[in-house]
Amino acid sequence: MLGAGISGHTAALHLRRLLGKGHEVVVVSPNSKWNWIPSNIWVGVGKMTTDQVTFPLAPIYKRKGITFHQALATALYPEGSPDMESPHVSVTFTDPSRLNETANIAYDYLINATGPKLNFAATPGLGPDGYTASVCTAPHATEAAAQLATVISKMKAGQRQRLVIGVGHGTCTCEGAAFEYTFNVEHEVRDAGVRDMADITYLTNEYELGDFGVGGMTFTQKGLETTSKLWTESLFRERGVNAVLGAHVEKIEPGVINYEQLDGSKNQLEYDFAMLLPPFRGADLQAFNAVGDDVSAEVFAPSGFMKVDANYAAKPFEQWRAEDWPSTYESSRFPNVFGVGIAFAPPHQISMPRTSPNGTVITPAPPRTGMPSGVMGKTAALTIFDRIKMGSSATDHKASMSSMGAACVASAGTGLRRGSAAAMTMYPVVPDYQRFGRTGRSAKDTFGEIGLAGHWIKYMLHVAFIYKAKARPLWYLIPE
Amino acid sequence: MDEATASIASSPLPTEQTIRRRKNLVFQTWRFVALNLRMLTMITKGSH
Ligand SMILES: Cc1cc2nc3c(=O)[nH]c(=O)nc-3n(C[C@H](O)[C@H](O)[C@H](O)COP(=O)(O)OP(=O)(O)OC[C@H]3O[C@@H](n4cnc5c(N)ncnc54)[C@H](O)[C@@H]3O)c2cc1C
Repeated sequence: MLGAGISGHTAALHLRRLLGKGHEVVVVSPNSKWNWIPSNIWVGVGKMTTDQVTFPLAPIYKRKGITFHQALATALYPEGSPDMESPHVSVTFTDPSRLNETANIAYDYLINATGPKLNFAATPGLGPDGYTASVCTAPHATEAAAQLATVISKMKAGQRQRLVIGVGHGTCTCEGAAFEYTFNVEHEVRDAGVRDMADITYLTNEYELGDFGVGGMTFTQKGLETTSKLWTESLFRERGVNAVLGAHVEKIEPGVINYEQLDGSKNQLEYDFAMLLPPFRGADLQAFNAVGDDVSAEVFAPSGFMKVDANYAAKPFEQWRAEDWPSTYESSRFPNVFGVGIAFAPPHQISMPRTSPNGTVITPAPPRTGMPSGVMGKTAALTIFDRIKMGSSATDHKASMSSMGAACVASAGTGLRRGSAAAMTMYPVVPDYQRFGRTGRSAKDTFGEIGLAGHWIKYMLHVAFIYKAKARPLWYLIPE
Repeated sequence: MDEATASIASSPLPTEQTIRRRKNLVFQTWRFVALNLRMLTMITKGSH
């Protein structure tokens, strides 16, 4: 397993549970800690600490009998190399005791679960090394909380503050996380008694509110169809949050965000506090064939994500089909190599692609959230287990995002009695217009609801998934 | 007023009763159970 995030760690635990001691399960990941990323939102408003959302991986892997290398994978040699006959991966250690040492690690089956590379470099001035905050990692979120505390204290001192939260590039994904952080910040500011001193703006690449990178959803409420657009707009109105839609952030200067919108106009937004998510790329991995030729372009898409069993033929939006989406996640180039979670290359967006008159693509990339990522990790693990047990007669396990649902519980404020969240589910994630008609999704399984119960669910998920990731008794009964 | 702001301004606000219901501990306990069941049903539909 390359990567010990949601998908890689899930795959490792299942393989260890299923395989006998004669088999070795090896995890390569650069961080010593596991992070329940969804709760970083609460770290980012100072309601949780880093220690509440992370834990060290080494003791868990030791207890379970999983070999752990704290290292960064750099190159794949699925056909071996002149140095090593068997398939292997090159790694560079990040473990302080072996820092920068390199090694080759042999494998029979490989799961690439390296998730996203946070591509702050795509937008000048974006990110903690530039002029904006992030909540993508626990340390980033801690820094965001400190910046937020500073603007809140300025508001208390009578200074009006402008807070901008959203995405920092036209091709970003994870709008749901930006949405959550927006409403958590709004909740904090209100709690601090200074709501009237804050102008809060949600800056997004979505064409309309409620798109969330999945082309929006249609809910049925009281016998009527309603859209996630109307539902989301209602929340924005209720909480007094402004929105800038269809935006591609071009450059950030201290206190000023420069962005282009879908109509081609170039605009500026001034801010005192900004949290903008970066666009994602695949990890910096290369791939080589048996004779040492660089075949990275065959194995990875230009975005750096791994090409798997999807239909990557370029075609217009009207011809996109649910069947284009992968189901086994096996590499299209090398057998026994899988790409799961954010690491696999999607065949196309889910939201309708849009371009400004200047040719700038302003469309959310498809989200691959926690639940589908975990399911993909487990699916690849089950396929590998069957291949080990049954050899060539094994049939592949399948889990396409076009036949998989997702639950998204977007926190809108914390507190056991005063919290709130927008709980949404959709089935399937990728709309299937052939199967479900006009809305592309099952009306029964696609719904949204706002309230305190959503907050309890979000907190329950925090507790349950950390329990599961720690491989505590009966962890495998908790679904992905 | 730009299009996004106009659209937000014309969206429906929740009624007082809806706001009360969103915070009511008894009603929300029921919703907690119902939402979990709905989510579990939806999860089990995904093919593995
Ligand atoms: C702020 C935020 C909030 C979110 N909230 C939600 C939510 O509420 N619900 C939800 O469903 N999803 C949420 N998501 C999305 C969710 O976190 C991702 O879908 C999920 O983490 C993807 O899992 P993954 O295994 O693909 O990647 P990750 O969990 O990111 O794991 C990738 C792993 O690979 C490692 N790695 C990277 N490069 C290498 C390399 N070269 N070699 C080896 N290892 C490497 C990383 O260190 C990491 O351990 C949120 C995301 C963000 C950023």
